[in-house]
Amino acid sequence: MAQVGRSGRAGGRAGGSAVRNRKMSKKVGSGGKPTRTASEVVESPQANSSTRAVVAATPRHLLQLEGMDRVTLTRLLRRATMHATKAEAGENAEQTLSGVTVANLFFEDSTRTRTSFSMAAFNLGARVLEFGATTSSVSKGETLIDTARNVEAMGVGVLVVRAKQSGAAEMISKDAGASIVNAGDGRHEHPTQGLLDMLTAAQALGRVETLDFSDLRLAIVGDAVSSRVARSAIHGFTTLGAKVMCIGPSAMAPKSLETLGCTVERDLDAVLPDVDAVMMLRVQFERHGDASGAKASPLIPSIREYRVGYALTPDRESMMKPSAIVMHPGPMNRGLEIDAAVADGERSVILQQARNGVFARMAALEWVAAAPQIAK
Amino acid sequence: MPSHTASDGVLITGARIIDPASKLDKIGDVVVAGGLIRQIAISKSERKQISPGEVAMVIDGEGLIASPGLIDPHVHLREPGFEYKETIESGARAAAAGGFTAVCCMPNTSPALDTPELVRFAKDRADGAACRVFAVAAATKGRKGEELTESRLLAMAGAVGLSDDGDCIASAGMMGRVLSACRDVGLAFMQHAQEPTMTKGAAMHAGTVSTRLGLGGWPRAAEEIIVERDVRLNAGIGAHYHVQHISSAGTCEIIRRARREGINVTGEASPHHLVATHEMCEGYNALAKVNPPLRETSDMKALREAVADGVVTVLGTDHAPHSADEKALPFEEAPFGFVGLESAVALYVEGLIASGAVDWPRLIALLTIEPAKLCGLDRMGLGRLVVGGPADITLIDPDEQWTLTRDDLVGQSWNTPFLGRELIGRPSLTMVAGRVQHQRLGERLGSAGIVFPS
Repeated sequence: MAQVGRSGRAGGRAGGSAVRNRKMSKKVGSGGKPTRTASEVVESPQANSSTRAVVAATPRHLLQLEGMDRVTLTRLLRRATMHATKAEAGENAEQTLSGVTVANLFFEDSTRTRTSFSMAAFNLGARVLEFGATTSSVSKGETLIDTARNVEAMGVGVLVVRAKQSGAAEMISKDAGASIVNAGDGRHEHPTQGLLDMLTAAQALGRVETLDFSDLRLAIVGDAVSSRVARSAIHGFTTLGAKVMCIGPSAMAPKSLETLGCTVERDLDAVLPDVDAVMMLRVQFERHGDASGAKASPLIPSIREYRVGYALTPDRESMMKPSAIVMHPGPMNRGLEIDAAVADGERSVILQQARNGVFARMAALEWVAAAPQIAK
Repeated sequence: MPSHTASDGVLITGARIIDPASKLDKIGDVVVAGGLIRQIAISKSERKQISPGEVAMVIDGEGLIASPGLIDPHVHLREPGFEYKETIESGARAAAAGGFTAVCCMPNTSPALDTPELVRFAKDRADGAACRVFAVAAATKGRKGEELTESRLLAMAGAVGLSDDGDCIASAGMMGRVLSACRDVGLAFMQHAQEPTMTKGAAMHAGTVSTRLGLGGWPRAAEEIIVERDVRLNAGIGAHYHVQHISSAGTCEIIRRARREGINVTGEASPHHLVATHEMCEGYNALAKVNPPLRETSDMKALREAVADGVVTVLGTDHAPHSADEKALPFEEAPFGFVGLESAVALYVEGLIASGAVDWPRLIALLTIEPAKLCGLDRMGLGRLVVGGPADITLIDPDEQWTLTRDDLVGQSWNTPFLGRELIGRPSLTMVAGRVQHQRLGERLGSAGIVFPS
C-alpha cells in the first residue's frame, strides 16, 4: 500500500467515464451526508498501532451539520473539549494523524479557517499540504473537481475544501478516495465553524459536561440568508436542543429560514434581554451580487440605517442578561455590525472562538480519518 | 385508390389511428407511398381491399397507436456555435428516436439566428436530417432585447416563430413592438418569461430546498409578472403570444384568465415540469438544474390541470443538450437544461395519461395539430393524418415498459436527471415523408429486402 488514503477504496474510477458513473449512481438526497454508515476500517501497515488513524474502505466526510445526529455531534464536541483541556494543561496532543497527509484546498480566501486547520493538523502529527488554488482555476479548463482529483492523486488522505459555490465539498466527495472536510461552501454550511461555536457556547455557558442546550436561546443577527455560518449553527445548536432565532431585515433574514428549524424575528431590542448568546454575522457585501466589493449592498439602503436596527452597540449590549455572551465568526466589520467596545468587551468570546477552532478541527480531522479515539 | 409504385409502399395494419384534427380514433390500416399517405382504411370493406402484395413493407400495428408525426416546437440544437453539445443532425436523430418528425429549434445559438441568412443556414443544415427542422428566429438582434430583427424577412426565409428564448424581453416598450411585428407578419411570439432583475444568480426554485442548500432562488413571481405584463400588452395588439415552459401554478391562472377575456395567448408545458419537483436538486444534483426550475407538487398539479382544461395547448421538451463537463461543474455554475427528446413521450404519458389529466387523443393533439398551428406547420399539412398529405407518422406503443439509459440517448449529450427512471410508453416507429427514420418494431416488421435505419 503505497498511498495513504487510497489503498482501501471500494471501487475505482474508470478513466473518462468517471463523471458518468458518478452522476448515474447518484441517489437524490442520500449522497454524501456526514451521517453515512461508518466505514469498514482496514489496517494499513504503517498504522498498526491502535493510537494511529487508519484508512477507511469508504472515506468518511464532514460536509454539513444538517442531519448529523446528537450522538455524533456530542462525540465530536467531547473530543474537542479533551483537546482544549490538554492544551490548557500544556500537554501535547496524541499524534493520531501521523502518517496522514492533510491538504488545504482553498478556492476562496480565508485566513483564520485555513490557519486553524493547518494548526489542527500539525498538532495531530499530520503532514500538511497548502494548496494555492485560485478561483480562476475553476473554469471549464480546470474544474474544481479536476483540481481536487489531482491533489488527491498525490496521495492525500484528507482534503479540506473551501469554495465559493454551495455544494462544492459534497460534489468533490462524490468520487473522492480521500476524506473531505467542508471548510465552507458558498452560502451552504461551514460545519467546523458550527462545532467551534457550539464548543465555545458550551464552555462559556457552563454546559461542557452535559452538552445539553435545551434551555439555551441563541440569536443569530444579520445576514443569515447569505451565511454558511448561520446554517451550520442553526442545524448544530437545534440538534443539541437550543432555540435559535435569526434576526435581521427581511432581505437578510427571510421567513423562509424557518424551514431550517429556527424562528425569524425582526426586532433585535425585543429579543436581546432573553437570549443567552448573540452571534453577530458579518454583512457579506461580496455575496450580494456586487463584485466591486464596495461597502454597499443592494439588500440594505445604507449602513447607518442597518446599524439603527441591527448593530450590536454598547447600548444594546447593556440590555443583555448578565451571563449572556457575544460571538462573531470573523472577520468583523468593526463599527458596522458590531462596535469595538462590544467586540473587545467582557461578554465577547470572539478570541475564544478562534482558539476553539483549532480544537474543533482537530476533532473533525480525527473523525473523518477514523482515528480510533473518536471513531466508535 | 391513387396510383403509387409498389416498391416504396408501406402498409400499417390494425393500429389505433388517432388524428385529432379530424377527430379520428379508430382501428384501421394506413397505406403510404411516394412520401404521402395514400389511404386510411377504417371500415371492413375498405380494409379488405388493401393487399399486402401492393406494398414493400407491412407493419403489424396491433396494439400500437398510429399518430400524425409528433412535433416539438421547442428544442435547442446548438448549431451554429455549440456543436460540442449538439448539432442539427444529431438533434434530429434524437428527435426521430423520440418519435418526433418535426422540431422547431430556438435561436440561442452563436451567432443567434437573427437574420434571414442564418435562418437559411439552419434550413440548409437540416437537409438530409432525420426529421424536419424548422427555425424559430430571434425577436431582437443578438437576443439582446434592444433592436427588432427583420421579422418579415425572417418569415420569408422560413422562420416559424420569433423568440429570444433563454432570455426574456425585459423592456415592456420593446415587448410591445415585438408583439406588433409578430402580428403583422403572422408569426407567434414565444416568451421565455423570466424577469431578469429578480433572478440574478438564481440556480433553482426559491423554496425550502434552495434555502437549505444555500442556492440562489428563482421565485415564481419572476415568471408570473412577465406573463401578466405581456397579456396586458397583447390585449391591445392581438398577436399570438405563447408562453414557453410554464413552471408556476400562478402562470397557469394568468393565462386561463386572459384566454377567458379573449386574449390570444397559449401555454406550453415541458415534460420535466409535469413529472418532477425541486427535491430532485437535492445533493446538488446539477443534472436537475433547469430553467425555469422544477418547482413544487402544487405547481406540477396545476400544470397538469392546465393541460387538462385547455389552458396549455402545446407540449415542448425544451431539449437542451450540454456536455458532461459542463454539467459536472458545481451546481451554481453548471448550465441549465435537460435533453428531452428521447424520453418525452414516456414522461408525457406519466404526467398526463397516467395521472388522468388527458386521454390519448388529447395527448396526441398536444403533440401534433396544436404545435403545428402554433408554428404555421398546419399549412404544410403537418400535424394531421390525411389522405394525400405528407406521410409523417409516429407509431407509439402505449404500454411498453422501459428504463431510460444512456444507450437510449442518441443525440450528442446525455444530460438528463431521468436516467434510470422506469417509464411506460414509447414510440416504435418514426416516419418522415414516408421514410422510416427510426424504428424498434422487431417482429412487427414484415418486409423483404429493405434496410431501415434503426
